[in-house]
Amino acid sequence: MRQRWPLLWLALYRRRRMLIALTVGMIAFEALIVVVAHTLSPDELFSAGGKGPPSAYRAFSGSSGEVSIASYPGLLGAGLVHPFWIALQLTAIGSLAAAAVAADVEAGTVELVMVRPVSRTRLLAERTAALLAAALALNAAATLTVLVGVALTPDIHRAVPLTGVLAAGVLGFGFALCMIGPALAVSAAGRRRAQVIGATIAIGAVGFAVNFIALAWAPAEPLKYASPFHYYTPGDALAEGTVPWPGFLVLTGAGLAGILAAHALLRRRDLAP
Amino acid sequence: MEAIELTALTKTYGAVTGIDALDLTVRPGEVFGFLGPNGAGKTTTLRCLVGLVRPTAGRARVFGMDPVADHRRLAPLLGYLPGELRLYPELTGAQTLDLLSALQGAPVPRRSELCDRLGLTAGILARPVGTYSRGMKQKLGLVQALQHDPQLVVLDEPTEGLDPLVQETFYGLLREAADAGRTVLLSSHVLPEMQRTCGRVAIVRDGRLVTVESVAGLREARARRIRLSYADGRGARTLGAADRWEPRWQGDDVELLVPPAEVVDALRGLLGPGVADVTVEEAGLDEAFLDLYRNGGPEEAR
Repeated sequence: MRQRWPLLWLALYRRRRMLIALTVGMIAFEALIVVVAHTLSPDELFSAGGKGPPSAYRAFSGSSGEVSIASYPGLLGAGLVHPFWIALQLTAIGSLAAAAVAADVEAGTVELVMVRPVSRTRLLAERTAALLAAALALNAAATLTVLVGVALTPDIHRAVPLTGVLAAGVLGFGFALCMIGPALAVSAAGRRRAQVIGATIAIGAVGFAVNFIALAWAPAEPLKYASPFHYYTPGDALAEGTVPWPGFLVLTGAGLAGILAAHALLRRRDLAP
Repeated sequence: MEAIELTALTKTYGAVTGIDALDLTVRPGEVFGFLGPNGAGKTTTLRCLVGLVRPTAGRARVFGMDPVADHRRLAPLLGYLPGELRLYPELTGAQTLDLLSALQGAPVPRRSELCDRLGLTAGILARPVGTYSRGMKQKLGLVQALQHDPQLVVLDEPTEGLDPLVQETFYGLLREAADAGRTVLLSSHVLPEMQRTCGRVAIVRDGRLVTVESVAGLREARARRIRLSYADGRGARTLGAADRWEPRWQGDDVELLVPPAEVVDALRGLLGPGVADVTVEEAGLDEAFLDLYRNGGPEEAR
C-alpha cells in the first residue's frame, strides 16, 4: 500500500493511534449499551410510572417511524445515534478530512507532495479512500460489537434480528459518507485544519438539533428533511431487519455530491501555504 | 525550446500583487539565479513554474508545457526544494524519501550518493524528521529534490540553514548538475551565492523584473559603500557633488552608496581636510544593489 497508494498510507499512518483509540472507544461504548439493555429492560428504563417517553425521543432512538426508545431496537438504536457515537464518527471524519487537503496546505507539506506527478484527482481519491477506510473500521467495530451482544442475549435477540444489526451498520456507513462529502469539500477549499474540523462538527451537531426540534415541535417538522438524522434511522433498521434504502440513498447521495464538489474546488485552487 | 519561458506572468492575491507582468527566459543547461529581497515575488514565481499556483494572467511554459495543465507530464522532469521546507514530523528521514520517491514514481539513482555526500547517515535517516535540526531538514530537502536526477532543478533559498562545509558540497552538486546539462533555477537573496553559482541572474523587486544580468555584469554594477569619519565635530554637512548619493549621517560619520565606476571620482571629491578615516567595501544586496536601481540604475535608465 505504501508504494502503490502512498497518500492513502500516509493519511492512515499519521492518524493510526487516534483511529485505534476511537475504534476501541466505539467497541467499549456499544458493549456498554448492550450490557445496559440486557441488565435493565427498556421499559424499566423509560416507562416508569406507566408513562412512555415523549415522541421526540425517537430522535434518540434513531427512528423516523414508530420505534420507541423504550424498546430493544430503540435502545440499541440509541447507542448508534448517541452523542458519543456521533462524536467518535465526527472526530475521525473531521481529522482525516482536514488532512485530505487543508492540513497539508496549512503545514506547507502540500508543496512537496503536489510538485510530483500526482494529479489533484489522485490526491483527493487516495485521501477519500482513507476516510472511507476509517469510517468502515468504526462502523464495523460498532456493528460487530452489537451483533455479538445481540447473538449472546436471547431477550434482545427475540426483538432484534441479526440482519437488523447488519442493516444498521450499513446505514451507519451511509451516515459517515454523508458527513465525509461536505467535510472534504470544506477541506478542498480551505487553508486550515480548524476550518474543516469546525465545519464537520457543526454539520453533525446542527443536523442532530434540527432533527430533534422537528420531531418535538410540529411547526418545525418540515425542517427534518434537511437533517441527515432524518435519514439515518438505525432504530428502524434494527426493528425491521432491513436497510431503509430511501434514507441510505439520500445519505450516500449527499456524500457523493460533497465529494464531487470537493473535486471541483480542488481543481481550481492554488496549492501553496 | 527554452527550459523556462515566462510571458507577462502575473499573480495577484485579491488586492495584493505577488508578481507583475514578469518576462523571463531560461535556456536549457543554464544555472540561472533569481535574486531579490524577501517579499519580492521569487517564491510565487517558482510556485507558478512548478504548477502549485495558477497565474492570474500571462503565461508560464516549462520545456514548452503549461505547469498546471500539463502537470503530470512536466512533474517527472522537475526537482523542487521549497523555500520553507515542511516535512511530516513523525516520518523518519528514510520514510520521507521513500514516500516522495513513491509519489515521483521513478527510480532514485542518486539517493545513496547524495545522502553520503551530505552526511545523512543511516542512523540519521532512521530518526523522525521532527527531531532534525534545520540544517538536516534542508539536506533531506536537497536529497529529495535531486535523488531522481531531474532535468530541471528549482531551488528556493537552498542554502538556508546549511553550514559552510555543506554549502561547499551543495555548490559542487550544482556544478555537476550544470556539467551534466541540467537546468537549474536558484532563488536567493544572497548575492555572493548567486555570483558563485549562476551564469545569469534576474533581479526582482516588488513583483517586477528589475533586470536580467550576467554575473560578470552584476559584479560590475554592484555598489560600493564608502564610509567617512570626520574629526571636527561639525556633524552633517554638504558634500558637494557627492550629495547626489544621498549620504546618511550619524554624528561625524557618513555613509554613501556609490556605483563602482564612480568610486574613484567620488573619493577625490570627498577626501579633504577633517577626514579622519575612510573605508570602501562592497555593499550588501538589499541596501545597496537594489537601492542603486531604485535611484536610476543602468537597466531602468534604458
